Amino acid sequence: MQALLSFDQAPPFGAPARFFLTAPLFAILAGLLLLWSGPGLFASRWTPEALALTHLITVGFMLQVMLGAMLQILPVVAGANMARPRLLATLVHLAITLGALLLAAGFLGLQPLAFRLAALFLGSGVALFVGSAGHALYGVPPSRATIRGLQISLLGLSVTVALGVLLAIALDGALDLPLPRVTSIHFSWGFVGWGLVLLAAVGFVVVPMFQMTPAYPAWFTHLLPWSALALLSLWSLAEAADWPAPSALLAGALLLITATFAVLTLHLQRRSKRARFDATQHYWRVGMLCTLAACTLWLVARGLPERMAALAERLEWLCGVLLLCGGFMSVIIGMLYKIFPFLVWLHLQNLGGGRVLAPNMNKVIAGQQIKRQMRAHFLALALLLAAVIWPEWFTYPAGIALLVANGALLRNLLAAVAFYRQQRTKIAALIAAATSSDGKPSLTSHPATKAPAP
Amino acid sequence: MTPTDADIVIDARGLEPPEPMVRTMEALEHLGAEATLVLLLPREPYPLYRALEINGFSWQTARRPDGTVEILIRHQRQ
Repeated sequence: MQALLSFDQAPPFGAPARFFLTAPLFAILAGLLLLWSGPGLFASRWTPEALALTHLITVGFMLQVMLGAMLQILPVVAGANMARPRLLATLVHLAITLGALLLAAGFLGLQPLAFRLAALFLGSGVALFVGSAGHALYGVPPSRATIRGLQISLLGLSVTVALGVLLAIALDGALDLPLPRVTSIHFSWGFVGWGLVLLAAVGFVVVPMFQMTPAYPAWFTHLLPWSALALLSLWSLAEAADWPAPSALLAGALLLITATFAVLTLHLQRRSKRARFDATQHYWRVGMLCTLAACTLWLVARGLPERMAALAERLEWLCGVLLLCGGFMSVIIGMLYKIFPFLVWLHLQNLGGGRVLAPNMNKVIAGQQIKRQMRAHFLALALLLAAVIWPEWFTYPAGIALLVANGALLRNLLAAVAFYRQQRTKIAALIAAATSSDGKPSLTSHPATKAPAP
Repeated sequence: MTPTDADIVIDARGLEPPEPMVRTMEALEHLGAEATLVLLLPREPYPLYRALEINGFSWQTARRPDGTVEILIRHQRQ
C-alpha cells in the first residue's frame, strides 16, 4: 500500500511557519517601543509612538499570523489549494515584514519615504496574497458559512490596506484627505471587516473542533459575514458623508454583532465536553470577555458629554488595548497553540509515509511552558490597561511584560520547530531500519507515540 | 447504506483533531477487500479525501439533517 497518510497538497512546513515565528518578534518590538518612548506614548491616540505601537501589533503581529493561518487552513476547511505556496509565502512574508517595519519607522521618524515604501510593500504583499487566495477560493461552492466568511474577510483586508495606503500617501500632504474620518473608516474595516469576520469564520470551525463544544447556530454563522459587510459599507458611506445619526445607528448595529459573537462563544464554551479548560480555551474566554468590555466602554465613551472629552479619550484607549491585546492577540495566541502543533504533526505524519505514526500532538509544546506564557500574556494585558490610566507608573512594567510574554511565545514556537526537526530525523532512521530489515515496510508506532485508545 | 450496515463504524464527532484521521487511517489499514467503513464527523474532512484518493479508496459523502457528515469508504473497484 502507498503512504497511508499523505497531505501532498498541504503547503510545506516552512510556508506558514515563517509567518507564525515572525509575529512574536513584532510584539517584542512593541514592548521595546514602550520602554524606549516611555509614558509619553499614552498622551494621545495620535502620538507617533502610539500609531507605531498599534501598527506593530496589527500589521506586525496580527496580519502575520492571520495570513500564515489562512495559507494553512484554506486546503483543510475549504479544500482550496493555493498555487506555488512556497514562493507565495516567501514573497508575501518578505513584503509584509518589510512593510510593517517601514510603517513603524515611518511613524516614529515621520519620514515620507518610509511611508511610501511601507505602502508599496504592504499593498503589493497583501494584493498578491488576496489574489492568490481569491483564485484558490474561486469556484469553491460556499456550502459553509466559513468559506463565505473567508472570502468576505479577504475583501475586508483589501479595503483596510487600500485605505491605509491612501493614508500613508496623504500623510505628507500629497493628497488632500479628511484624515481623521478616513482613519476611522480604515481601522473599522480592519477591526470588523478583516479581523472579526476572519476570526469568526475560523472560530465557527475551530471552536467546536478543538474545544469540544456544540456548533454555533447556523443562522448566526450565515448572518455574521454578510451583515458585517453590509453594515460596514453603509456605515462608511454615512461616515464619509458626515451623517451623524445614521452613522451612530449603524456603528451600534456593528457593535451588537461583535458582542453577539462574543456572548455566543462564551455560551458554547460553557457547554464544552472537556472536563478542564486548556490554554486555548482560557485564551478564547479572556478574548471574548475583553471584546465585551471593549464594546461596553465604547458605548460609554460615545455617551459622554463634550466637556468630558479627556475621559472619553482614555476610554477609547482602553477599548483599543482591550480589543488588540485582550481580544485579537489572546485568541490568536490561543489558536497558534493548536495550529502550530497540528502543523508539526501533519508534516511528521506525512514524512512517516503511513509507515511511522507521528508523535501525539500534545507533545509538541510542553503544557507547562504554554501555561507560563499564558500567564505572562495576561499580566502584560493587565499592565497595559493600567498604563493607559497611570502611564507614569505602568508604562515600563507593561513594556517589560509584553517583551517577556512574547519572548516566551517565540521560545514555545521554536521548541515546536526543534521537536519537528528531531522527530524528522528519528522517523527517517525508523523507515530506513524497517525497510532494510524485511524489505517490506509496515505501519510502525513511533516510540514517542501513545497508541490511541480503541 | 446506513451506518449499521457498514462493517466498521467510527463515530468521531466527539474527538479532537487529528484523532478522527488517525483512527480512520488505522482502521483502513485492515479493511477487507469487500468491507465498508462509515465515518461520522461534524464537518467535511477535506484532507482525508485526498489521503483516500492516494491510497486507492472510494467514498461517498452524505449530510444528515442534524449537520453530521457521513462518509462511506471502501476499496476502489479495479
